[in-house]
Amino acid sequence: MNKATDDTAALEPRIHDYLKHRLPQASNLELRDVQRIAVGWSHETWLFDLHYSEEGEPKHLGLCLRRDPGNALLRHLSDLEQQFRVLKCLEQTPLPTPKPYWFEHDVAILGAPFLVMEKVPGACPSPWGREGRAFYAAAATRGQLPASFTATLATLHTLDWRAAGLDFLGVPAPGTDFVRREIAKWRELIALSTPKPEPILTDLICWLEDNMPATERVTLVHGAYRTGNLLIHDDRISAVLDWELQVLGDPMYDVAYVLSDLNREGTPLLSNLVERDVFFRTYEAATGFVIDEARCRYYNALYAMRSVAFWMSASGLYASGRSNDIRLARTAWSVPVVLERAARDLGY
Amino acid sequence: MTEGDLLQRIAQTLKQDIGPAVEAEYPKTQAFMAGVVLQKLGQQLALAPQHQRDQAAELTALIVELNDQLQTIEAPEDLRRTLAEFAQRRDQVTLCSLIEALYGARAALSAVNFARLLGRIRETLRADINRRVAYAS
Repeated sequence: MNKATDDTAALEPRIHDYLKHRLPQASNLELRDVQRIAVGWSHETWLFDLHYSEEGEPKHLGLCLRRDPGNALLRHLSDLEQQFRVLKCLEQTPLPTPKPYWFEHDVAILGAPFLVMEKVPGACPSPWGREGRAFYAAAATRGQLPASFTATLATLHTLDWRAAGLDFLGVPAPGTDFVRREIAKWRELIALSTPKPEPILTDLICWLEDNMPATERVTLVHGAYRTGNLLIHDDRISAVLDWELQVLGDPMYDVAYVLSDLNREGTPLLSNLVERDVFFRTYEAATGFVIDEARCRYYNALYAMRSVAFWMSASGLYASGRSNDIRLARTAWSVPVVLERAARDLGY
Repeated sequence: MTEGDLLQRIAQTLKQDIGPAVEAEYPKTQAFMAGVVLQKLGQQLALAPQHQRDQAAELTALIVELNDQLQTIEAPEDLRRTLAEFAQRRDQVTLCSLIEALYGARAALSAVNFARLLGRIRETLRADINRRVAYAS
């Protein structure tokens, strides 16, 4: 197991000391309702409330702490420092995101690098479980959350990323550079997982390279915009989460993800939430972009490559002993499932 | 009891006896997931002999048909060489190389010939993936 798996009780006093150092004017600091909300797959996450006094006044701060366990999926593609930087850039934009407070490299503090950000009110039901599906089905009938889902994506795609300082993410050159970069990124992750040869994957990558579309406009792209990565409060999106796959590129890359049947569990509603026609109409009206379905089909095939890269990387983490989470071992059998889907996408 | 049956049996024990007896959420999930992994391994192992026979027959047919097709058309030497190597080794690595060589030869082949060659390879890939999803999904 990795070295940074201290349990929550052991970590609490260290978090307390850190916050005391960060808030020198504060006294009587107390952490309440500390809960760990994610295990294993990605960065470790704790939510808690900080109560303290400042100049005699009682204060309260809801906080979220994310720590790098050293073996997270996609770790080399998106570290916490980059997440912190992206959140800093987005702070001044209309996009709802958690306010970032601090990022620390120093492993002496909590055993691994970590970031602290605002705990935004809301819930994030998983769309894969029965309860989550029921939640989104009920929200779909009310209409407000689907509208917020689409409007938030439109905000993400129309924000001024240059003004926000997000060009550090890498601005693709005109033409096919964005797609070329994405293919190269997932090719690299596949190579790192020392996979067994997969002829359908080779076919898929060759096809993707042969059919790269030129990017017409460059926007911020979230990379995994779907229910389950969005915090919901009062029937609206209160924060866009999971800033691990963001990139500057074609907004149709996100739209393709929304349209994908990978992200809806047997329901015709996009992301378990939005009617397809309504999504098209409202997204196009809000952004002024026309949804290019042919391009989205291409990106859907690119997502198949990305999924294979994820699952190869995940099962490789277990096989190599860098993680003891058996859920990662299970993903070895997700590879043929995705490849079967990719073969269908390619017409066979 | 075959090895596959034994793994299935252990998987059942993990899912029905061990997992439910564990209270803490994380190890409980791990026990259940270990059961899922062993179940898939068991199915894979049980089907392996038949799958290997089917695959060997399909690769032989693929090689014969690709050779026949290449004899009737003009094709780059690299593609012919890769096919010869695949015919000799009959493994997934050289099949990947053959696919790459075919895409690399696309400009030198007519669209019809490229599609015909790729279509024949894809026929074999489809049969293989159908077998694998039988235990993977």
